[in-house]
Amino acid sequence: MDQLPNLGREQEMLDIMGISSMKDLFEDIPVEIRSEGTLPLPPPQTEEEILMDAERLLGANVNLDSRPSFISAGLSRNFVPSMVPMIATRGEFLTSYTPYQPEVSQGMLQAMWEFQTMISELVGLPISNVSMYDASTSAAEAITCAVRVKSKKVEMPNTVYVSELIPPHRMSVIENYTQGVGIDIRKIPHDEDGFLDLNAATQASGSCAIYVEQPNAFGILDEGLLKLREVVGDKTAIIVGVDVTSLGLVEPPGNWGADIVVGEGQPFGIGPTAGGPIYGIFACKKDFLRLMPGRIVGQSIDTEGKTAYTLTLSTREQHIRRHRATSNICSNETLIALMGAMHMALLGPVGLETLSTRILSSTRMTIDELSSVEGLELAFPKSPVFREFAVKVPGKSSEALSHIFELGVIGGFDLGQWWPDKGSWILVGCDERTSESDISLLKKSLTSWVEESS
Amino acid sequence: MTDTIFDFNGSKNAGWSQPSPLTDDSTSHIPESMRRNRLPDWPRASEPELVRHYTKLSQKNFGIDTGFYPLGSCTMKHNPRLNEKIVQNPGIDRIHPLQPEEQIQGLLAIYYEMQEMLAICSGMDAVTLQPVAGAQGEFTAIRCIQEYHRERGDNHRDKVIVPDSAHGTNPASASMCGYQIIEIPSANDGRIDLDALRSAVGDDTAAMMITNPSTLGVFEPEIAEAAEIVHSAGGQMYYDGANFNAILGKTDPGRMGFDAVHYNLHKTFSQPHGGGGPGSGPIGVKEHLSKFLPSPLVNRKELPSGDIGTVGDGFLYHWEAPASSIGKVQQWNGNAGAVVRAWAFYRRYGRDLERMSEHAVLNANYLRFRIMNPSSDLNIHAMPIEGCPAEVVKHEFTLSMSPLKDATGVTGKDVAKRLLDFGYMAPTLYFPQIVPECLMFEPTETESKEVLDKFAEDFHAILAEDPEILLTAPHTTPVGRVDEVWAARNLILRYPKDEPSS
Repeated sequence: MDQLPNLGREQEMLDIMGISSMKDLFEDIPVEIRSEGTLPLPPPQTEEEILMDAERLLGANVNLDSRPSFISAGLSRNFVPSMVPMIATRGEFLTSYTPYQPEVSQGMLQAMWEFQTMISELVGLPISNVSMYDASTSAAEAITCAVRVKSKKVEMPNTVYVSELIPPHRMSVIENYTQGVGIDIRKIPHDEDGFLDLNAATQASGSCAIYVEQPNAFGILDEGLLKLREVVGDKTAIIVGVDVTSLGLVEPPGNWGADIVVGEGQPFGIGPTAGGPIYGIFACKKDFLRLMPGRIVGQSIDTEGKTAYTLTLSTREQHIRRHRATSNICSNETLIALMGAMHMALLGPVGLETLSTRILSSTRMTIDELSSVEGLELAFPKSPVFREFAVKVPGKSSEALSHIFELGVIGGFDLGQWWPDKGSWILVGCDERTSESDISLLKKSLTSWVEESS
Repeated sequence: MTDTIFDFNGSKNAGWSQPSPLTDDSTSHIPESMRRNRLPDWPRASEPELVRHYTKLSQKNFGIDTGFYPLGSCTMKHNPRLNEKIVQNPGIDRIHPLQPEEQIQGLLAIYYEMQEMLAICSGMDAVTLQPVAGAQGEFTAIRCIQEYHRERGDNHRDKVIVPDSAHGTNPASASMCGYQIIEIPSANDGRIDLDALRSAVGDDTAAMMITNPSTLGVFEPEIAEAAEIVHSAGGQMYYDGANFNAILGKTDPGRMGFDAVHYNLHKTFSQPHGGGGPGSGPIGVKEHLSKFLPSPLVNRKELPSGDIGTVGDGFLYHWEAPASSIGKVQQWNGNAGAVVRAWAFYRRYGRDLERMSEHAVLNANYLRFRIMNPSSDLNIHAMPIEGCPAEVVKHEFTLSMSPLKDATGVTGKDVAKRLLDFGYMAPTLYFPQIVPECLMFEPTETESKEVLDKFAEDFHAILAEDPEILLTAPHTTPVGRVDEVWAARNLILRYPKDEPSS
């Protein structure tokens, strides 16, 4: 109630208007549909009381920093520089909205234009928007965008091929976004090393698009994808989902033929935050610009010819184009993208390479240590990986994970939850914060599980 | 071009130190053909330079914290700082959405409380917190309605009805589900035209999407009848919750006859708008739609007596998949951080959320009265006319600046730009499109009487100014009026140095 400056002054304001009571302000609601009595909710609380409850409730959660943690599956237990939340949550950024009035929104507009540049540089494509909701909606809207651009130009209109190894929750988002507009989604298999079956991928030639991930759901870096342009021909759009932090070491997809690059931006800017708010990146070639989703900032000039920034190409968007819009997206994740921009700017090019190397190193060391445990088996021992890898354990992975949690370690993700035939696989995720002692505790606890279950 | 983040000439290496990698030779594990040859041209700047860069940028940005933000339809209310403090807690910031239920009991308890609270406030039976923006909530609800019709064999229902005053996201969201849009005109007074609705519905109607109060800020008195018309044709009623701030505790979409509703936690429940997001757009539905909701929802089981559980309330919280769920619309379980902020906001009001809506409506009516009743000694060129005649409005109202345009050539946009010079954010411009030269004002409940008085006074002063001043406004902002056509024609969408070829 302390959020109402006019509390206690109602009558004074009503008198000026010549209205007798607060009740009169709601007389336009027909009696039959008016609420009766007070909302059946608890009484109001003060800031002090709410904070106490929040700390107790959130304190009941087991946070990833409280013990060695190896759960990733598309998010990163990253380290966010202290500057990022402190400066990004300045009130001028935090409490602004979509910059419909560019003259008083130059700060956020310029920051987003710089963000677009950094994403463009990162993935090797010329155009970026100012964010999507997350990696999954970004992938789904990349597919619908590619269909809009390509359908009239290819032999297989409304048809898109996707890697069968896309995580099921992402596939579900893609299905929801594509089912109504009649897009036929067809799957492409992977071989026993986890690589995309390039022979099967030739089927995609002549379709609107092919969507693959690099690294894929098992962390595998697939060298064969470098030949994908050759395999699918020039007409089919290539959409690639990336781990943004791999791109300090790994060739960006824009350099090997990708038309659209999407991915989870979260590792730059914000903690895993129980899954949101995070942000999806969306970058593309110029041919896709006019039919792409999301907000775009362009440079311009003011009446004096001075450099200024503004939202541009808004005629694609729902508030103007309505049912013919390229997407329904309105609110996006700008503030989180701002945090991402700050994080990327602090890293700089060399810092990015260092970050990628740290993640790769901790992944390799974890693999090496677990490989030496009798009874554990790497699912794809020959394939290069980044951040994640799948390991087979004796018994059920869910039980193995409970066992090692009792020993103080969050050991990864039970892949049986995504694919029932992988109920003994654990997806182990590493990051820049994984330490030697974390790895040795994971090894020790998994060794204990192997002994327990034999 | 100067002063962009790419123009720093400082540190040539990253200005920010990191620990060394655990091993030296890891790079050899990446096949040579896959290795990146050239690092991205990211900024090369140190923390001191960057902090100053972004602070300077922030000073060129207008937020609720810097001044009155009467942007209609966006509910730009104060964002309590407690909420920002809470989400820094590692119990939300450092949580992975795939952690087992036992590890996130506190978060699930907050989700459960929010599901219950939103259901109560809206008269719905079940709520999902997964959609991450209002538009995504609309899309999700229409997907649920689509599956409902399919299950009943009503595959021929392929049309969604929206009034011409609806938010653009309504038709865009329905269209993404594959529906054809039937737009019906509003009546002359801006209200829903029941005759137009009667002739639009039929056995091909899947749903009607409407907001109430309407985008004109006026309550639709015939809403129950509209619902009756749509239901008797076999269609479903969808409530766009963008204007929910006006009615909490006074009425609810359930009573009005709606089957599904979305909430904008960033509007009604004060998740900060952040320059364009994040938002959060949970949806609520009636029982018959609940089994189609996205998965998972949160439920709870009572523990045996004596066991207080992890959060101390005697319950064990768990995820639960609705029987015929449409699956996922976001990768995880929604914008959890926004849900936690909204939870902290709602706790401040509890059962008195009604007071919040009362004050939102009081402020809107007061501002409207002040603007429409200037003191007589002013030399105003032409007064605006109301977008919709109504004795009282709800949380927002519209004014048409057409008389001013006719008298002086000054447009609604010119007035909006001039307001920036007085230290205000402009109202929503040219929406809804059915009101010519429209300005839409939403003061929210968190502005004091003095702010509203001063705004009305400044607004009148603007209406009395030399038209030339307005036509060339703004004059005191960091840049003058920005040429949007130039931007669209030149398409400079990134820093031009070393642009990768497409």
